Amino acid sequence: MKRKLSIFLSVLMLFSMLLAGCSGDKASGAGGDSKKVTLKFWTFWGSETRRPIIEKMVDDYNKSQDKVVVKHTFVPWGDIWTKNLAAVAAGNPADVVVTDINDVSHRAKNNQSTDLSKYFDDNFKNRFYPQLWDTVLYKGKAYGAPFNTDTRLLYYNKKAFKEAGLDPNKPPQTWAELEEYAKKLDVKKGSTYERIGFYPLWGGYGAPGWMRNADNGKGFIEGDKLAIDTPAKEDALTWLADWKKRYGKKTIESWDADFANGQTNPFVAEKVAMYVDTGTFYTQIRDSGKNLDFGVAPIPSYTDHTRHWSDGGGFVLEVPKGSKHPKEAADFIKYLTDVKAQKYWAVKNYDNVANKQAAESAAAEMSGMAKDVYQTSNENLKDTQLAPVPLNYPDYKSRIDPQIDAVMLGKKKSPEALKKAEEDVKKIKK
Amino acid sequence: MQQQSARERLLHGINDRGTNVSGNSAAMNNQAVSKTHMKTKKAKSKTFKENLIGYGFISPWLIGFFFLTAGPLVFSLIVSFSDYNITSKMHFTGLDNYKRMFTADDLFWTSLWNTIYFVVFSVPLTTAGAIFVAVLLNTKIKGMKIFRTIYYLPAVLSGVAVYFLWMQLLSPGTGLVNLVLSWFGVDGPAWLFDPSWTKPALIIMKLWSVGGGMLLYLASLQGVPESLYEAADLDGANMFQKFFHITLPMITPIIFFDIITSTIGAFQVFQEAYVMSKDGDGGPAHSLLFYNLHMWNNAFEVFDMGYASAMAWILFIIIMILTLINLKFGKRWVHYEGGDNK
Repeated sequence: MKRKLSIFLSVLMLFSMLLAGCSGDKASGAGGDSKKVTLKFWTFWGSETRRPIIEKMVDDYNKSQDKVVVKHTFVPWGDIWTKNLAAVAAGNPADVVVTDINDVSHRAKNNQSTDLSKYFDDNFKNRFYPQLWDTVLYKGKAYGAPFNTDTRLLYYNKKAFKEAGLDPNKPPQTWAELEEYAKKLDVKKGSTYERIGFYPLWGGYGAPGWMRNADNGKGFIEGDKLAIDTPAKEDALTWLADWKKRYGKKTIESWDADFANGQTNPFVAEKVAMYVDTGTFYTQIRDSGKNLDFGVAPIPSYTDHTRHWSDGGGFVLEVPKGSKHPKEAADFIKYLTDVKAQKYWAVKNYDNVANKQAAESAAAEMSGMAKDVYQTSNENLKDTQLAPVPLNYPDYKSRIDPQIDAVMLGKKKSPEALKKAEEDVKKIKK
Repeated sequence: MQQQSARERLLHGINDRGTNVSGNSAAMNNQAVSKTHMKTKKAKSKTFKENLIGYGFISPWLIGFFFLTAGPLVFSLIVSFSDYNITSKMHFTGLDNYKRMFTADDLFWTSLWNTIYFVVFSVPLTTAGAIFVAVLLNTKIKGMKIFRTIYYLPAVLSGVAVYFLWMQLLSPGTGLVNLVLSWFGVDGPAWLFDPSWTKPALIIMKLWSVGGGMLLYLASLQGVPESLYEAADLDGANMFQKFFHITLPMITPIIFFDIITSTIGAFQVFQEAYVMSKDGDGGPAHSLLFYNLHMWNNAFEVFDMGYASAMAWILFIIIMILTLINLKFGKRWVHYEGGDNK
């Protein structure tokens, strides 16, 4: 919601940027030393924790060579997408920009970013997790490089496990076990729940995630093919609706509203015993000041024979179309995605990075629960899939979401709803 | 409104004089008297100079209008016939965007329906609410100024803060609204989480901030001449008769103004849904997907500016038609004290 809100506020900025773009910035490329190239680098990392880290990385790069000076500019989250487009339109973009991993191909197609394939050698792609590298390709060419990523894990409260007579070292492995454990972990007083064992739609893993997990990792749209109305997805959606039925519409709605503001987290508050969220959710537990006794595991699989599929996202480094120094920009991107910089980012920020080797050596440097969670998320990245926005169906979510809502509200059965969703998505093909 | 007509009068005045002058000059040309011809020329250049100074004075507004309003307006009309995406492409696609809107985009109809629902309920309710509160606050009792301030306060608070406040008030489990309802044995709905209650929730929220309209009515109520009430008293009219036969007719111009502006405003409902629905996507089962929100999503989520511009123009036409209907039927029930019904 915050992101959306800031996009809203930033539209004014977009238009003012378009106007400001006319004035031009002749100084670019000639800043400071007349021989040195100045690269404009835009990120949305402006917080007290992240800003010093990225600026140290930039600083290190500036000191490591004498041809290029990188100037970091913080552009608020939400503003950065529209500002970037406005700057491209005005012909005065940044040279490197941090942007969403899921729509790289859209910007490539719309001629808003630069084809970097000629600057990257064949080995370059090997440093990344393959599913991340795939997202930056458009017609086989790289239009950016992955920087960081995330993955969803199952967090569980060990104290609650012990209370319920469950083995705290044996997290649920399948959906069936998940249900069984959840029932044991529920604490009900009269008609109200004091603790909820598990509710699949709380945390960072939505209905699309569960449906994909059931359907052997197959997303709603694979390439050009729709896979919305499939037996496994129908089953998963029914399963989700059954959870809501079991806890009761009232319970779920009132808990939804109570935790909607994001101030308190139900898992950290020990109101929910099992909870799916990203690996970096660990920092929220760590910073809560509570000594929560918890464990972390991959998301349970649909059956014994399927894998522990998980969802991920992330950010990429791109060179906007119209940058005057694409080569220097590509060199800077190579530096930012190399082991040293990536490891620094991973350890200092407690964030999952795109560089495999850096992720592994970052885990080796950690200890305690931090290490446990980080290592689990590294392993999890092998079964983690992204959901890049398909080129032919950019607005597909708006057609699927209401159908999922209808099932969750008990207004439709899942086969009927998914059939309609697939029909609706088909209609908006571009 | 008043400003508008004043401006019109001003423009008419200038035009009238302009034609007068040229009429004179034509007549004088016929007489072919060189002296007067010279005079006319002088007069002409003087008028021209005066006009120029006039335009000079209004130039800030003119520049604003042409560059910041008319320019983008024309641009968006052109864009609505293309596949413009802000940066790279702008191919003309004819009426494709409009065709798609009416034939292929279900969400267009959903959003139009949601918006009309909102307009149909919120406009009459807020208007009636504002009149009601204004009449109450027009009585002469001690401490009235305090009450007036209290009722006006919500109109002072800025949008987003109010929406967050209401999200808490409307929370199904712990919100104040449902708590109060439970005192009366009513099991409150889930408001923003139940698709059939999301729009009523927003309308109730709108009712809370009738203070702005209330102020207008209060001002016009104070302008109703006391003598009319005195005359009615002599005739033995009761309170209701006085309200329906004196007060209401006397404030119809303000009601008319309020209905037109709030209808336009209600059609543009956007922020409420954007802020109060999870992820700004239009709430559960698209029940809060208003016209402008759908347009926004097309413009700034999918970056389909052409389609979004086409939607904007359709909304413009809808509002224009409704306003024209309002203006036409307004003559039947709006009473202007001036007598010339203008």
